[in-house]
Amino acid sequence: MSTAIDTPPATTEEVTAQGKARAKRGETLAGWAFAAPFAVLFGLFLVVPALYGLYLSFTGETLTGAGSGLVGFSNYADALRDPDMWKSLGNTLWFTALSTIPLVVLSLALALLVNLGLPGRWLWRLSFFLPYLLASTVVVMFWSWMYNPTLGLINGVLAKFGAAPVAWLQDPKVAMISVVITTLWWTIGFNFLLYLAALQNIPEQQFEAAALDGAGKWRQLFSIVIPQLAPTTALLVTLQILASLKVFDQIYMLTNGGPAGTTRSIVQYIYESGFTGYRFGYSSAISYLFFALIVLVSLAQYKLINRRSVA
Amino acid sequence: MTADFSRRSLLKTAAALAGGGLLVGCAPGASRSTANLNYWHLLTGGDGTVMAGLVDAVNAANLGFHTTQTVLAWGPPYYTKLAMASAGGRAPDVAIMHASRIAGYAPGGLLEPWDLDLLAEAGLRESDFPARVWEKCQYDGKLYAIALDTHPFVLYYNTEHAEKAGVTEALHTLKSPEEFTEVATKLQKVTGKHGLSYGYLGDGAQMWRLWYTLYKQTGADMTLVPGQPAKVDKDAAVKTLSFVQSLLNDTIASRSGDGGTATSEFLHGESGMFFGGVWELPVLKEAKLPVDAVPIPTMFGTQAAYADSHTFVLPRQSKVSPERRKHVYTMVAELLKRSVKWAGGGHIPAYQPVATSAEYQALKPQSNYAGIPDYVNYDPDVWFSGAGSDFQNYFAENVQNVFLGSGDPAAGFDGFVARLNKLLDRPQPV
Repeated sequence: MSTAIDTPPATTEEVTAQGKARAKRGETLAGWAFAAPFAVLFGLFLVVPALYGLYLSFTGETLTGAGSGLVGFSNYADALRDPDMWKSLGNTLWFTALSTIPLVVLSLALALLVNLGLPGRWLWRLSFFLPYLLASTVVVMFWSWMYNPTLGLINGVLAKFGAAPVAWLQDPKVAMISVVITTLWWTIGFNFLLYLAALQNIPEQQFEAAALDGAGKWRQLFSIVIPQLAPTTALLVTLQILASLKVFDQIYMLTNGGPAGTTRSIVQYIYESGFTGYRFGYSSAISYLFFALIVLVSLAQYKLINRRSVA
Repeated sequence: MTADFSRRSLLKTAAALAGGGLLVGCAPGASRSTANLNYWHLLTGGDGTVMAGLVDAVNAANLGFHTTQTVLAWGPPYYTKLAMASAGGRAPDVAIMHASRIAGYAPGGLLEPWDLDLLAEAGLRESDFPARVWEKCQYDGKLYAIALDTHPFVLYYNTEHAEKAGVTEALHTLKSPEEFTEVATKLQKVTGKHGLSYGYLGDGAQMWRLWYTLYKQTGADMTLVPGQPAKVDKDAAVKTLSFVQSLLNDTIASRSGDGGTATSEFLHGESGMFFGGVWELPVLKEAKLPVDAVPIPTMFGTQAAYADSHTFVLPRQSKVSPERRKHVYTMVAELLKRSVKWAGGGHIPAYQPVATSAEYQALKPQSNYAGIPDYVNYDPDVWFSGAGSDFQNYFAENVQNVFLGSGDPAAGFDGFVARLNKLLDRPQPV
């Protein structure tokens, strides 16, 4: 009571500061309220399962609950000694290398072509982008028929030219390339669209100035267009590598990882270890190893991009 | 204003209804009448149509229950869902399972055993089934499955080509790999293309079915016990793998035949013989092909055939309704009694009153191979083997290049055994 009296009256500045703080607190609350629906779902369906998966990776948990209990790092040690884990990881990296480069380079080429101002531009734009809107199941249906070694469209066309039939999805040497071709057709539209938007954002004056200085079209491409697109390229490479590392559905449906495991991706191996092999603990351990790899890739890219923007 | 209000209330009602519908959809079948049976299976195509017909026929018999079937995609998707449903205790009342998968489901408590007394009440006894099939349905001394059929891997041949090549007799009597090669070579001369069609590329199951038939014909065994190295007969394995390799030489049979190519080749009369499962029969018959089927000839001394069986199992439920369970016994018995229809799809009925009936014996070529259940061989009993399991993929991963002609049989087989040993070395997860 006495303290209240003893306290000197608050200055106006302090009053407004208090009011601001209160208003800020109200704002923060409202912010949380708006974020809550997402935060709750994010926590429930992402954070909690991810942490539970981390816990599982240290247990011998199986589908039936047999063999549960902590086993320390033995799942991790097992995984590192598992040739199938390494093989499917290798397949995933191979797929990433095979798919990322054409998905970035070709989409740029397509965007440049469309940007030339060809007649019927909307049709080009539509036909390059449309496949991206299809569900993976639909895409796989198309392509598995086209790849069919006896009845397929591709071998049919090849036969017209007298070429020998190719076992697109059954030949261990060709299967991964077929998967990449399908992926390319399916997902290039997204990259294409981003490039096209970026192209249309390059200020027209730069081209005019370059033309005045006597720069030809090719010179303009290498000195203006490609440098101006650098941020887009960096973004696309990042997104593409992450997307390719996660590859699962088209492979699962086209080849189911075959022939002889040559197209089995790491995500499929995680699925198989857990759901058809019943070893949830082991499969969680592999997914955390894979997670570590993705974090490393992301950090490396972040460093690279940062250095470039500083320079 | 009123329009706005009513639109809102309409939306609210719709949302409430949708939400309610979802909840009802998710709720366990507690409120389900005991007269409603849920039945899961993985039979599609021709088999699916026949099964649906059988279920309808049993429903129409008004036995006091109604069965609703749920058809799921064959292979891993089906078995994964069934295992998850059983692990959660909310499984269907009855389901189809390959006999070869019981060893992977029974030990983990995912299945419940059938009660022999209740079976007898429903009219089913041990003597109604072939001994080897009945035995495969057991695990640890308990009966976990009731077999519907046996579906072996057999040899089809084009009767016209065989007649022309003069090998019809030999196809029924040949006793050695050399004689088989001779028959195939003669047939090749008649067709001008291939003597034999065999699709295996990218399909571990197909490789396993043929090879395991031949391996068992040598009298060899494959014993897989967790915690111990695999017991196999490498000499027999190499001998039979080399024989398969010798057939796939682009003259007798295509070196790199996949399922679709092999079927279409045989259907177009471009080959004389075809290795396939009995389930291929409807397609071949529909094509009006002059076709006959026989068990794969005994070439290595011991009569043996690879097969699997579709069986009925009781997946684990956390709450079992005794009345519904009783209906399941009746439903299975009634289905088996009608299983001569099932034989139309090529399968050998397991239920002996049907298998020995005049109606079944009159089916050709089904009755040619009706004796197979007496010497049938299933996959080795171990939790990771069986139809649609990864086991057959492991076989393919190591042996496909042997079949393709580029790999060494001994090295391929060693790779497969190494893979098995790795799995046997791990603690059994079920």
